[in-house]
Amino acid sequence: MEQNKFHAIGRIARRKDGIAKVTGREVYSSDVTLPHLLFARVLRSPIPHARIKSINTREAEKMGAVCITSEDTPDIKYNERQVSIPEKTYRDRVVLPDKVRHVGEGFAAVAAKTESLAEKAMRSIEVEYEKLPAIFDPYEAMRSGSPQLYDEICLGDTKLPIESNIACHREVGEGDVEHGFKEADLVVEKEFRTGRVYHAQMETKSVVCRPEPDGGISVWPTTQSIHNTRQLLGRIFSISLNKLNVHRVPIGGSFGSSIQMNTCIPICVALALKAQKPVKLVLSREEDMYDHCKYPVIIQLKYGVKKDGTITAGELKTIVDIGGHNIQAYPLLGCMAGWFVSLYRMPHLQFDGTAVYTNKAPGCAMQGYGNPQVSFAVESMIDIIAEELGMDPIALRLKNYVGLGETFWGQGPTVRSVIRSCGVEEMLLKGKDMIEWDQRVSPDKKTGRYRKGVGVARGFHTSGTGAPTPGEVIDYSTAMVKVNEDGSADFSTALMCHGGGTLEAGAKIVAEELGIPIDKVGISPADTRSTGYDVCTHATRGIYCGGASIQRAAKEAKAKLLKFASRLLDVNPEALKIQPREESDQGHIFLPGSLEKHIPVGEVAKMAQYKGWGTAIGVASHRQVNCPPCFVTNFIEVEVDTYTGEIKTTRAVAAVDCGTPINPDLAAGQLEGGLCRGIGLALLESTDYDPETGRLTCGGTFIDYKFYTPVDMPPVDKVKTFFADTYESSGPFGAKGVGEAANNATAAAVVNAIYNAIGIRFAEAPVTPERVLKALQNQPDVEK
Amino acid sequence: MKKYTIHLTVNGEKHTLEVYPNALLLNVIREDIGLTGTKYACGTGQCGACTVEVNGEPVLGCMTLAVAVDGAEIKTIEGLAQPDGTLDPLQEAFLDTNAVQCGFCTSGMILIGKDLLNKNPSPSESEIRNHIKGNLCRCTGYNGITRAILKCSK
Repeated sequence: MEQNKFHAIGRIARRKDGIAKVTGREVYSSDVTLPHLLFARVLRSPIPHARIKSINTREAEKMGAVCITSEDTPDIKYNERQVSIPEKTYRDRVVLPDKVRHVGEGFAAVAAKTESLAEKAMRSIEVEYEKLPAIFDPYEAMRSGSPQLYDEICLGDTKLPIESNIACHREVGEGDVEHGFKEADLVVEKEFRTGRVYHAQMETKSVVCRPEPDGGISVWPTTQSIHNTRQLLGRIFSISLNKLNVHRVPIGGSFGSSIQMNTCIPICVALALKAQKPVKLVLSREEDMYDHCKYPVIIQLKYGVKKDGTITAGELKTIVDIGGHNIQAYPLLGCMAGWFVSLYRMPHLQFDGTAVYTNKAPGCAMQGYGNPQVSFAVESMIDIIAEELGMDPIALRLKNYVGLGETFWGQGPTVRSVIRSCGVEEMLLKGKDMIEWDQRVSPDKKTGRYRKGVGVARGFHTSGTGAPTPGEVIDYSTAMVKVNEDGSADFSTALMCHGGGTLEAGAKIVAEELGIPIDKVGISPADTRSTGYDVCTHATRGIYCGGASIQRAAKEAKAKLLKFASRLLDVNPEALKIQPREESDQGHIFLPGSLEKHIPVGEVAKMAQYKGWGTAIGVASHRQVNCPPCFVTNFIEVEVDTYTGEIKTTRAVAAVDCGTPINPDLAAGQLEGGLCRGIGLALLESTDYDPETGRLTCGGTFIDYKFYTPVDMPPVDKVKTFFADTYESSGPFGAKGVGEAANNATAAAVVNAIYNAIGIRFAEAPVTPERVLKALQNQPDVEK
Repeated sequence: MKKYTIHLTVNGEKHTLEVYPNALLLNVIREDIGLTGTKYACGTGQCGACTVEVNGEPVLGCMTLAVAVDGAEIKTIEGLAQPDGTLDPLQEAFLDTNAVQCGFCTSGMILIGKDLLNKNPSPSESEIRNHIKGNLCRCTGYNGITRAILKCSK
């Protein structure tokens, strides 16, 4: 309805950073170069658990390298993620530790004139390790007598003892779950597991630092939050924030891998401060793979249902193997509870989550933040229930989903809002037709080597972390919009674009609000000195939260512009309108119905300066009071080769309810990308560890860490995307998020499709050919 | 270690360089010549982000010693557009089919796509996917990239 009125919102326009990206001129962190630059390498532990007894850097120093160890770095406990309020932030690490808790953990670093000299110097460092027993299984880690990773850590500034390697625990309940199960006609229970997926963003984590003459430092890092990086560096190194400038640099993919101030950043800062020269640190792929991964989960899921499909109670218990550091396990558990609660209505519910330390690379946020994992379990279970009740899986979903007017937990139990826009039904019904759901036949009717199956799953993600009351998660954005003397405009914000088009959307919001053409809006370079605080581009909050602050800043600039125009045209400002005009390629301010009363935007901006009236500039900071869910639905067709166990994805329909799609082409691109990564979670991806050595069995390379390649995706005309027709009144021009939602339903849709193909329910991802073959051995009707 | 003198013509410009025998073409292009459009992403020839054209053939910069291509004509992503900035039709197609997200694989993807179109001006979708399968992208799911090359297929 509203959409037709927009001239910029919803328009397909070439992305503003596109030419730089197709010509190789975009400058990423790893491309930043400075005069007299030194190159850094980090010495990392080859063993999973050890105390560093001694380090001898004499040889490295003889080579001219600058070396740092735990003795050269502040003994300040930090958590690289700064999105929770301090009282809920678990701090268990320092810049360079004297105890390592996973293979690949850095404990010393060098900087030298060339990268190869730095590598040579790093290798010359002599280390004496006191090996400690290591632990890789979360259940074993919790057993009494198991080796302990920590005696105590800090929660905020308070010391917190750690027992049985339990990093944190959360319980959330509503109603009386036992009563709910008693009311049920059917109780189903099953364990699900998901893998330790690696982000595999194409640019490895990188940083360049330059010490400044005033004692400060400038930083060009891969990060999703320049302001949090600055605050944390300020705290660790006791540098006043006005002397610490963190630049926004385009990032070569993130998927959550840089939600935090990555550990390479303070290491590089410490080197640069000691060397008093600029230093660059680019992680190798192997180092990057030992740095972070998605949280792998074990979920025990139980539902009670009536014969008619009404859910009476639900219980989800989870163990999360977080690896060697607790980056965000506490909010993760809260979010997992929220995802569980917000998928299907349950009068009685119980969530119980435990995060456990093990000697592996730490888990961190990765697209969906627990949501693909919870949805994998819940959406598999909904299919199981539907089959037990003899109901259509889509009908069962339609009966129970949390929709309009109901409460959504966008970021755990403390961040709740009421759903005001919802396209769930539209997506399920339209997607059902597009995939030809009614032609689906049951697995027992399928024969032959290759068997196809179709599966469905739905899901959602939050749009940001706003709520009516401040919760444990910070949500805040700032933007500035100014109108230039030729009628163009610039906007600045500390939001990041990870590739999905967040800043493109910002430009369209400015163009729409000011009534000027999209190509007349410039995205200003950003650093922490010249922008107001923005918490982080995470939680699918870029457009809904960041965009809302951009819209507010643009409204303020527009109000000033109209005030100036009203003086020039002698018209009440409230009677004036702005619209882009093709003939002058800028916006025109005019009085509707009058031919004389009009003036170009640039003319007004210029005249207001000549006359000393002011600049048409707006600055706004904003915290959203909602976090509306962006719903998704995936339909996927797979083909299982019963001889080899290989699974191909042959068709897919991916739909999202993102409110008004501001960049429809880029949003569709996110759906395709999310689908691809979700299939990876279902079929291929996990970083496994050798319990003898504590090392990755893939060796930290892409050869043995497989993700989808161009030949694995279904053909272009077999992947269909569409948008639900909704309008989110609390979002900028009706928009909600897309980002993380895009992959949340996928893995479940894949396993549901596999079940439809061969009648085998896989509850553990990835469903590798080995697992398929093993399961098929018990199927009597399949030729071996 | 002794340095060697090598001559490379990169995007039509001649360079005389002093390099160590173990210097990788990727690093020579990025650091000595200063063209950073060619990317490091795996360092072990598994992702294609460092693809460049050497004497008309696609080569992985991270797997090639600079001394081994002494005297070669090299084209990097920076050399694909016309000197006046006019984009190659494949670069245009990448912009029009939503083939670019973070952009880190883009240089390699465009060069490998260009290599295919040079050899086969009208590739089918499966020929495209097969030709670019050594290049990884984590953002797009490859369909935008495939559509871009299809758009240039005659």
